[in-house]
Amino acid sequence: MKTQDYDRHLKFQASRRGILKGAAGLGALAATGALGMGGASLFAQPAMAQAGDLRAQLLAVPGIGKGSPTDADWQKVGEMVLDATKKNVKEGEFAGVELTFMGLNNQNLHNMLFRGFLKPWEAYTGAKINWIDLAQADYNARLQQSIATGTVDFDVIEMGAPFEGDVCGKGLASEMPDWVKAQIDMDDYVGYLKAPVGTWNGKTYRVSIDGDCHTFNHRTDVFADADLAKAWKEEGNAGEWGVPKTWQQVQAATKFLKGKKVGGQEAFGYLDAPKAWGGFGFYFLGSRATAYAKHPDDKAWLFDADTMKPRVNNPAWVRAIQDVIDALPSEPADQINADPNTTAFQQFLGGTGSMVSWWGDVGSNAKTSDTSVVGDVTGFSILPGSDDVYNAKTGQWDKLASGPNYAPNMAFLGWGVYVMSRVDADEKKKKAAWSAAAHLGGKDIGLWMSAYPSGFQPYRNSQFNIPEWVAAGYDEAFITAYLNANKDSYNHPNAAIEPRIPGIFQYYSIAEDELAKTFAGQGTAQEGADKIAAAWEKLTDQIGREKQIELYKASLGL
Amino acid sequence: MQTSTVAAPQDVIAAHDIPEGRRTAGKWLITLATIALAAIALFQGLYAAGQTETGFSNWRPVLYAYLAWGVALGAGQVMIRGEGGKRALFVLPAILFTVAVVIFPTVAGLYIAFTDWNLASFDGRSFNGLANFWALMNDGYFWNALRNMGFYVLAVLLQYAIAFGLALLLNAEIRARKFFRVAFLMPFMLSPVAVGWMVGKSLMEYRFGPAATLARHLGWENPAFFASPWIARFSIMAMDAWVWIPFVMILLLAGLQALPKEILEAAKVDGANGWRAFWQIIFPLMLPVSITAVIIRIIFQLKLADIVITVTSGGPGGSTDTVSSFIFREYRDRSNVGYGTMVAEFYFILIALFIALLLWGSSRWMKRVTG
Repeated sequence: MKTQDYDRHLKFQASRRGILKGAAGLGALAATGALGMGGASLFAQPAMAQAGDLRAQLLAVPGIGKGSPTDADWQKVGEMVLDATKKNVKEGEFAGVELTFMGLNNQNLHNMLFRGFLKPWEAYTGAKINWIDLAQADYNARLQQSIATGTVDFDVIEMGAPFEGDVCGKGLASEMPDWVKAQIDMDDYVGYLKAPVGTWNGKTYRVSIDGDCHTFNHRTDVFADADLAKAWKEEGNAGEWGVPKTWQQVQAATKFLKGKKVGGQEAFGYLDAPKAWGGFGFYFLGSRATAYAKHPDDKAWLFDADTMKPRVNNPAWVRAIQDVIDALPSEPADQINADPNTTAFQQFLGGTGSMVSWWGDVGSNAKTSDTSVVGDVTGFSILPGSDDVYNAKTGQWDKLASGPNYAPNMAFLGWGVYVMSRVDADEKKKKAAWSAAAHLGGKDIGLWMSAYPSGFQPYRNSQFNIPEWVAAGYDEAFITAYLNANKDSYNHPNAAIEPRIPGIFQYYSIAEDELAKTFAGQGTAQEGADKIAAAWEKLTDQIGREKQIELYKASLGL
Repeated sequence: MQTSTVAAPQDVIAAHDIPEGRRTAGKWLITLATIALAAIALFQGLYAAGQTETGFSNWRPVLYAYLAWGVALGAGQVMIRGEGGKRALFVLPAILFTVAVVIFPTVAGLYIAFTDWNLASFDGRSFNGLANFWALMNDGYFWNALRNMGFYVLAVLLQYAIAFGLALLLNAEIRARKFFRVAFLMPFMLSPVAVGWMVGKSLMEYRFGPAATLARHLGWENPAFFASPWIARFSIMAMDAWVWIPFVMILLLAGLQALPKEILEAAKVDGANGWRAFWQIIFPLMLPVSITAVIIRIIFQLKLADIVITVTSGGPGGSTDTVSSFIFREYRDRSNVGYGTMVAEFYFILIALFIALLLWGSSRWMKRVTG
C-alpha cells in the first residue's frame, strides 16, 4: 500500500470514529459503509438512527447476494450495534483489562466473527481480548480437561447448553448481572431457550446467541421436476412426487432417485452423515429417530427418565439405524466417509443430494455463501414425521389420530456466551467480560448473525419478522420457508429436547463408533444398538447414575 | 597398525585428599535437600489429595524444589567425591532431565492406568485395580486397531523396496540428480495432517478430486477411495508411504554413498552384471543400514494416527483405525483418561517388546547371512 493511501485510510477511519460519537452517527456510518461496498451511493441510504432503520442497515452489510461477509463487514456490524454497550459502559472504562475468550473456528466463522464484532467494542471500552480458537471436534475435550484439571484459562466462553451441567453445575460460571439481562432483552428469546435453558439452580448464566434445532432442507427443483414426477408414477410409487413429509417418504424418494438425473446432473436423495464427528454426528441419527422415538405423551426419548436406561436400542431407534443402512446404497458412493460438514457444505450446498437435515446454517449459507450453488432452489420444513410412533411405555407402535408424528430435534439447544466465575473477584474485569458477552448477544446483532453465515440461526421472536428480511433482499418464499421451519420447530409441542447432562458427548461419541461399524455392514442394526446401550449403561455408572437421573429429569422439565 | 595414547599430564585426574569435614558437609547438603524436596512434595500431595487444607495453588513449587535438589545433588557429589563428582556433573543433568520428563510421567501414567478416571465423573479419579486391563483385553476396538497395525507394518516392507529403488536411482549418475534428491524429499517435509487434507480430502475427493477424475477416465465408475475397507486401507497406506518413503530413501542413499567403491569396481571387472552385483554385493553390504532404516520406520509406523484421524476417523467401520487414533478418541471425545492411559501404556509395552524382538531377530539373521 502506498503511504499516502495508508494515511488517507487512517484519516477516514478516524473521521468515522468521530462521526460515531454524534447522535446521528449511525446514519453517517451507513453512508460511509456504503463507500466500502462500492456499489451503493452515498445518498442511497439516508442517515437514519431509529432502531428499525438500524436493523435495515445492518441487513445491508454487505447485502444479500453480494457474497460472503468479510472481516470489514463484521467490524462494521460491531460498530453499528455499539450503542447498547455505551448505555452501560463509559468510554475507556475497561482500559487495562485483558480477557481470554474461548470459542470455535468452524468454517472460519464463530470466533472469526466475534473478533470483528468485538474490535469496535475493544476500541471503545479499552479492554483487550485474547482468543482461543478450537475446531468443533476438539471443543469437548478441551473444555472437559479444563474443568477436570482445574485449569480454566479463559474468562468468556462460547458454549452450548449441553455443557451447562459440566460448567454451571460445578460452579464455574459467573451469574448474569441484571443490567446484562436488560441490555440483551431476554424476554425476546423464543420459548424453548428461556429458563430452564441457560439457568442452573434458578440462576441465569447464559447469553444466547443461537437457537439450535435440525430442520429439513430440500431441493425445490428436484421435487418439482416434471420428468421425475412422471417416472415416479411410472414406477408405481404411491402418492404424488413432492417434498417428503415423513421418513417413510424420504426413504422411498431416496431409493427412487438413485440413477436418475436432474438438469443433466446425477440426482441423489437424502444425505446421511455416517462418519464420526467428535460426537456431534450422533445428532444426525437423532434427527432420523425423533419422529419414531419421541412420543407426544412422553417427554423422554433418549433414556428412561427414572433409571437412565438407554432407549437407543428400542425398536424406534433401531428402525432409524436400519433406515440409514437401507438408504446408504442409494446415496453417493463415498457417503460412508461423509461427516455432517461434508453433507451440508460440500454436498448439499455444492449441488449434490436433494435432502439433508442440518442446523440453520444451510439456510443462512444458501444465498449468502460464495460456495453455494443452490440458493434459488432450496426449501425448508421441520423434520419429517412418521406414520407411526413407538410408545416406550407400552412397547407398541401407535398411529396417532392427528396423523404422522412430528418431533423436531432440538439438537444442541444453541450456542451461548458464558462468563466464567474466575472473573468474579475483579469487579472491573467481571463487568468487562459481561459487557463483551452482552455485545455479542444483543438483539440487533443477533438479526445480522441469523441472516448471514455465522454459525448461528434465529433465536429471538423479533427475528421472525419476514418483511424485515424481504426488505433486506431475501426472496419472500425462501425466507418464509426458512424462518417458519425454525419457528415451527422451536414451538413444536412434541419437540425432542436435548439432555443437558454431564458427559453427553461421551455418550454420542461411543454411539458414533458403534454406528460406524454397523453402517459398514459389521452386524445388524439391533446388534449395533445393543452395543451402544451397553456402553451407555457403563458410562452412566462411571459418571454417577443417581446424579445423571436427577439432571436428566431436570433437563426435561420433570 | 596399533596405536597407543598416552594421557597428557594435565588430563590425568589427580586423587584428591578430601577433608572429612567437606565430605560430611556434602552429605548433609544432599540429605537436607532430599528432605526438603520430600517435604514439599508431601505437603502439596496431601493438599492435592484433599487431606490437608493448606497447600500451593499449583505444583510449580515442587518443580522448583526438584531443581534445587538437583543443584544440591551435583554440589554434594563434588564435595564428597571431588574430581569423581565433577565427572558426574557431566551426566547428572541429563539423568535428572530424563527422570523428570520420561521416567516420572511413565510411572505416573502407570498409576493413572489403574484408575477409573472419566473427566465428567462427579466423583473424580478412583483406583480400580485391573479393571481397565481386563476391559482392554475384551475391547474389540483395540484388537481391531492392533490388527490394522499389522497391515500397516507389513506395508513398510513395500515402502522399503520402493525407497531402495529410488535410492539406487539417485545414487546413479543421472541428470538433475540434485534436483530429484530435493524433489523426492519434499513429501517428507509436509505435515501428515496437511497431506491428509491436500491429498485425502482434496485430490482423492470423490466428486471433484483430480485423482477421482483420473480414476473415472481410467474406467473406475465410482472412485470412492475411502468407502470400502480394503480400498480405504490401501489409500491410507499410499498416503502414508508418500510421506515416509523419502525418509527411508535418504537413509539408504547415505548408506549407498558410503559403500567402498573398489569392491563394486572389482565386481564389475569380474563380470558381474547389475542384478548380480546388487544381490550379491550391494544388498548384503547395505543390510545394517537397511535394518536400521526399517526398524526406525516401523517405530514411526506404529504411531500412525494423523492421516487416519484427518481423513477417515478410523472408518469405514474401523477398517483404517490405528491404536493411536483409538487412544485419541478415548481421550479427546470421551475424556476417558484412566482407560485411555491403560491402552497407551499397554501399547507402549507391546511396541517395546516387539522392537526388542525385532532387533534380536535381525541381529541373528544378519550374523547368519554375513557369516
